[in-house]
Amino acid sequence: MTSRIVVVGEVHHDHLIEATLEAIGKGRELAGSEGVVGFVGGSHAETAASEFARFGIGEVRWARDGVLDDRAAGRFAPTIATVADLEKASLILVGGTNFGRDLAGHLAIRWNAGTATGVTDVRTDGESLTVRRPVFGGRATETRRLEGPRAVLALRPHAFAVAPESVVPPHILPVPTAEVPSAWGGTKCLGTEVVPAGSGPALTDAAIVVSGGRGVRAPENFHLVEELAASLGAAVGASRAVTDAGWRPATFQVGQTGKSVSPQLYIAVGISGAIQHIVGMVSSRVIVAINSDPTAPIFKVADYGIVGDLFQITPALTSEIRKVRGL
Amino acid sequence: MEIVVCVKPVPEAETRLRVSADGTRLDPEGVKFVLAGYDESAVEQALLLKESIAGSRVHAISFGPAPRTEEVLRASIALGCDQATWIEAPTPVPDDPVLAARALARAIASAPHDLVLCGKQAGDDESAIVATALGELLGVPVFGYVVDLKWDPGRSRLTFHRVMESGQESWESPLPCVIGLQQAWNDPRTARLPMILKSRKAPITKATMPDPAGNSRSVPAKFELPVARTGAKLIEYKSPEEAALKLVRILREDAKVFP
Repeated sequence: MTSRIVVVGEVHHDHLIEATLEAIGKGRELAGSEGVVGFVGGSHAETAASEFARFGIGEVRWARDGVLDDRAAGRFAPTIATVADLEKASLILVGGTNFGRDLAGHLAIRWNAGTATGVTDVRTDGESLTVRRPVFGGRATETRRLEGPRAVLALRPHAFAVAPESVVPPHILPVPTAEVPSAWGGTKCLGTEVVPAGSGPALTDAAIVVSGGRGVRAPENFHLVEELAASLGAAVGASRAVTDAGWRPATFQVGQTGKSVSPQLYIAVGISGAIQHIVGMVSSRVIVAINSDPTAPIFKVADYGIVGDLFQITPALTSEIRKVRGL
Repeated sequence: MEIVVCVKPVPEAETRLRVSADGTRLDPEGVKFVLAGYDESAVEQALLLKESIAGSRVHAISFGPAPRTEEVLRASIALGCDQATWIEAPTPVPDDPVLAARALARAIASAPHDLVLCGKQAGDDESAIVATALGELLGVPVFGYVVDLKWDPGRSRLTFHRVMESGQESWESPLPCVIGLQQAWNDPRTARLPMILKSRKAPITKATMPDPAGNSRSVPAKFELPVARTGAKLIEYKSPEEAALKLVRILREDAKVFP
């Protein structure tokens, strides 16, 4: 069913985000560079529109309209559905950020498409489209068959490789913005409180996450976790014990009542591995645990473990990583 | 304010997951179902708004099979919801978030609704599709990942923050509106015995599921549990430096997680 594919670009600071580059990579795999059309919206998307061409997608449709400057998927959906119809596309791919998942829900109705979010694998045999996605916080995986002539998939960030660079001439066509339902008229974005620069990548968006737990013992020791994270360019997370104790704000919490993360590498420092923490990180690709207790449940889900004193191991690891990365 | 809150029964977090005989879904046999975590948070939000805005009512709506769906609706009444509607799903459940949204939207459209609250996603399928699909079906604005929801009566606007990857966005919206809530409450209410007893006899309105024909669908084809992890490969070492050296080598050369 994958005749032609629209890849929706999400723009941050004028550039396509990594999740979009992953969607471009998957789109090219399924339909070839010629079979993929890029889409961007917003009044300042010229850089993002031309970035598609660096990753092998020359054809881009740009809805240059201030109404698409905010990350409100409901304002994008009518235009994207129109573009997909004009392009005779049967599949829309989007990076599965919060915006991408929202967009999938809108297009499920507006474009009458079979829809899945959090997708980690896409298979097609020409006729049917099946996807795999982790469920129950990564404790199980489901396969879904999408039935019908159209499908929208929000791809789980970090589950697919970024498209290889392959420069082609850009061919950016303006498209008009389709009418947004009038009820959206009174909605207004009043501003964004950006995650401060220098605090590392956002937890749910990071390729590497380093989290600290009760084993760190006191807030003044948490710098050990932060220094290890900094050496790796990683985001910092924490177990509930740490956020409940107020050592770090609740926004740091990884787990059932906090954030779910699925980075390439997750390093748990001084975390015993209560089930409520495990469900938030078990779908990480590689898990490393550092803990003094060899019976800690974290070692059951980890791929690699160091049983030992985190106050000695963590600084040694930070210094070794700095060495190999030339920092 | 007429507040609708959408609730879903999901397996308890500690449930041991088992695959159904046909291999396509979770085996519900022996599973204890509870109100989904973010939906419970949405109920708390609905009740807080009701308490602060005179003349408000909270209507809980759920789509799902017997008996668990009726149970979470009674649990919602026990917490303080005024009314409940149950759209009964056949068994096995046609497990498709878009179908659920179509069922909920039809019931909501035929009832008074100013604000529709959902959890941002459910802890079982984690689709995060129902809220946005509802907004589209009802033709009203919809926002997910919402915290700090407030009603500004002077300006007749909802104000709230959305937790996005790039930072917290600050928004306002008129009613009617659909909100996917991500709020974590420090101290949400629990049901008191008199309310639990009352909820057992409370009337629940029944509604029927719309005909799914003609719409694109997503159909569960396989449900798999991960191969039990064998446990961590423990690194043997004589000094912290040696442990670090060995781990970094493994991460670069075997796991290839950084160059």
